[in-house]
Amino acid sequence: MSEKKKMSKDEKKLMREIFWSSFMLEASYNYERQQALGFSIGMWPAIKRYYKNKKDQADALERHMNIFNTTPHVVTTITGVATALEKEASKNPSFDKNIINNVKVGLMGPFAGIGDSLFWGTLRIIAVGIGLSLAQQGSILGPIIFLLLFNIPHMLIRYYGGVLGYKFGTQIMDRANNSGIMQKISKGATIVGLMVIGAMTASMVKLESSLVFSVGEEKIPMQDYLDQIFPLLLPLLYTIFMYYLLKKGMKPTTILLVTIAIGIGGSLLGII
Amino acid sequence: MQTALLVGLILAVLWFIEKMLGTPMVIRPIVVSTIIGAALGDLQTGILVGASLELIFMGFIQVGGAVPPDVLVGAGLGTAFAIMSGSGTEVALALALPIALLAQSLKVIVFIVRSWFMNFAMRLAGSANIKGLVTLNMAGLILQCAMYFVVGFVAILFGSTAVEGFVNNIPESIMSGLEVAGGLLPAVGFALLLLPMMKKTNILYFLLGFALFAYMNLPILGITLFGVVLAFIIVYEMKNKEVEVAGNNGTNKPTDEEDLFDV
Repeated sequence: MSEKKKMSKDEKKLMREIFWSSFMLEASYNYERQQALGFSIGMWPAIKRYYKNKKDQADALERHMNIFNTTPHVVTTITGVATALEKEASKNPSFDKNIINNVKVGLMGPFAGIGDSLFWGTLRIIAVGIGLSLAQQGSILGPIIFLLLFNIPHMLIRYYGGVLGYKFGTQIMDRANNSGIMQKISKGATIVGLMVIGAMTASMVKLESSLVFSVGEEKIPMQDYLDQIFPLLLPLLYTIFMYYLLKKGMKPTTILLVTIAIGIGGSLLGII
Repeated sequence: MQTALLVGLILAVLWFIEKMLGTPMVIRPIVVSTIIGAALGDLQTGILVGASLELIFMGFIQVGGAVPPDVLVGAGLGTAFAIMSGSGTEVALALALPIALLAQSLKVIVFIVRSWFMNFAMRLAGSANIKGLVTLNMAGLILQCAMYFVVGFVAILFGSTAVEGFVNNIPESIMSGLEVAGGLLPAVGFALLLLPMMKKTNILYFLLGFALFAYMNLPILGITLFGVVLAFIIVYEMKNKEVEVAGNNGTNKPTDEEDLFDV
């Protein structure tokens, strides 16, 4: 249970590298894959350590290019867990690499939830509250205190979150090997992951019909009908449609263009 | 001209710092206005305007994929116009929001352009070209910094009236169309994510997560908790029963598994 292994010198170095490479997570934030590029780069210290040949490194980088989104301040914890999983994957040829992505997806939602409320909702508000009272008197200390109050905890959590995630991930792997529980974790992570993706799809994909039917005197907006059938039906159908197109082999860029065209076209026609 | 360059540069640099240092909040009005104030020779007004704008923009945060009005541009230009016109906080307040709203749609365009980058990123990842990936990531960042520079520069150069005129002159249909597209684009990302995960047998879990949000508006964290419990029941509890029924092979298997959750 409590084999609290001290981290080796090399592991500590790895933790520092993960810390430093985590900062650019959102530099290329975009709609298609959100923070994936930054996350992929953040995994590089682990990837270059565990995989020596180019093909394996490329596979790992591609694996981490899947859509990713969490609160930037807490990302290292997920990087840490993923690092432990990559370490295992590199040693164990029978390791199902899909698990890495499933675990990541399972974590990004809750971490976004915790991170957003912790950093945006709590810490920032406290720091603003204290900084504002000084700034309103015209004191330069206002903004300075604000930045310090926010960023000292930020940096601590960024570093120690990585350590925690790595330890946690390693521990799971140690146990998993002994009890053959990997399949269960994989299945469990898939269930949680799919539910989180489902929830995020519902909360982030926006599509509403602006069609209005006239029945006699009455005007009935199409969206009201749809909401009665199934709220957020259109975002759901659209996502499934995209999934279907991908499954049929259509390229992501193509469906991206299709989506933009549908957005502008639908808006011009006044149906969405 | 000089002022315009200065303001544009400050906006670009602040965004650069924000995204190079993992969102340290240097683009909040309380900081932005102070720096603009210092640069334009009126630190005191800068700090005071920053305090007022911070209160107004407190709720405009970027969480998830939503693009809120752009506080950096709103606060930066609002403060600059206030100091330049010598009319203090009120002008800043009046200008900050419409400017922030305009910058918001420019940001949407940057996010769409960077979606195209991802195609390129996949190719770089496929050849394990980490230098390329870092460069691309930087290019994405610089692109947005450049956007901020141009916005700041042009806005100051042509003055507040021009800014307002411009906001009112973009075809409404294009603006709203882009907005609709912006709302749809995450669907592509999620579909990509579903591709390796979803099978015919587990599609219902996706629908369950969707429905929990759609019908009950539960926060993502709550839905995740339900997911964990459900996963536990399905994977652990039910399998355990099978083991018990199947007989007692495997001496201390259950204790081993319990340990897993005892981290």
